[in-house]
Amino acid sequence: MTRSRDEMELDLAFLVNGTLSEAEMAEMEALLAEDELLAAERDALATIRAEMQAEEIRTPGEFGLARLMRDVNRDAAAPAAAETKVVALRSRTWMWQAAAAVAVLALAVQAYLPTTGAPQGEGYVLAGASAPGALVVSFAPDTPELQIRDLLVGADLEIVSGPSALGLYRLDVLDGGDLDTATAALRAARTIVESVENAEN
Amino acid sequence: MTENHHFLVQQVGKGDKQALAALYRAYERPVYKFIVSRLNDPHEAADILHEVFMDIWRVAASFEGRSQVRTWIFGIAYRKVIDAHRKRSRVTVTDEVPETGDVAEAADAGYAAKQEAEHLRFCMGTLSDDHRSAVSLAFYEDMTCAEIAEIAGVPEGTIKSRLHHAKKLLLHCLSGRIRGRAVA
Repeated sequence: MTRSRDEMELDLAFLVNGTLSEAEMAEMEALLAEDELLAAERDALATIRAEMQAEEIRTPGEFGLARLMRDVNRDAAAPAAAETKVVALRSRTWMWQAAAAVAVLALAVQAYLPTTGAPQGEGYVLAGASAPGALVVSFAPDTPELQIRDLLVGADLEIVSGPSALGLYRLDVLDGGDLDTATAALRAARTIVESVENAEN
Repeated sequence: MTENHHFLVQQVGKGDKQALAALYRAYERPVYKFIVSRLNDPHEAADILHEVFMDIWRVAASFEGRSQVRTWIFGIAYRKVIDAHRKRSRVTVTDEVPETGDVAEAADAGYAAKQEAEHLRFCMGTLSDDHRSAVSLAFYEDMTCAEIAEIAGVPEGTIKSRLHHAKKLLLHCLSGRIRGRAVA
């Protein structure tokens, strides 16, 4: 052996994950054959590694990819939009991305949920069919909260859920309010509101 | 595979969104798992994953290929989580190995047979971010010491030292929890 026990002990994790060279591995194995404590630690670390690798995790998946593509498109569109002020075109792009994301999500939920059971702990809040609210709305990314609040209060609207990972909010009309009037107010606020859709409940 | 991913990054640098999508599909799961292991918050982890790939989109043109694509991407994620911790001003959890406790006892305590995933999650959560990162990259991703050192931007000796301390803390924590459960 060319290294001390203490030096070699520092490599234990890399013996367990199989990234040592053959020479280093042979050296470690020789040490472990003589050192029960270190061998026990090796076994414990191997169990920990196996446990970690077996851990199932729900990732954002296609939903996250749709969100990424939406923002990439925004990134790409931003300079052009600044030059030409073609806001409507950008909104349509956004709407297309949102629609695609929802469609992908619906497929993913159908394909994924039956095989995995109930999620552990806090899951993702999705703008699914059973969600509350009469309207699904997205706001321009840089809109101050004060402007959103003023708009919603003025239109007798309240946020009942959101934002989702895509930045969608679900809104309801307050008692005494009128849905059509509120929808018109949102659509008129073009500098703040990027999209307004009726929720499909 | 590595060459393919290198090509994808080059294409992303030229503005190819399909290449970005391919890169996302290849790395989303391991990078997300790495981020969650350090934040323990799936919502925030999803946001940081998003930021990582937005960064890739924006800076891919400057990727010179000196490092592997995997270490480059994990390096971006590594720094994003540090930023998130700073924003949260999260209190650093213990770095000190308690004086009491016996590693041999922990190793012999039947942990290997019990498959206590819940205990492991808890004990991982007690580690500092530096320790947790090193363990995650070593055991989720099976990275070499050199790769982990490159991602964290520290010497290899530092990574070995972090893993050594993390091992002691983990085994001590697991030993304590399993003992406590046996007593209960």
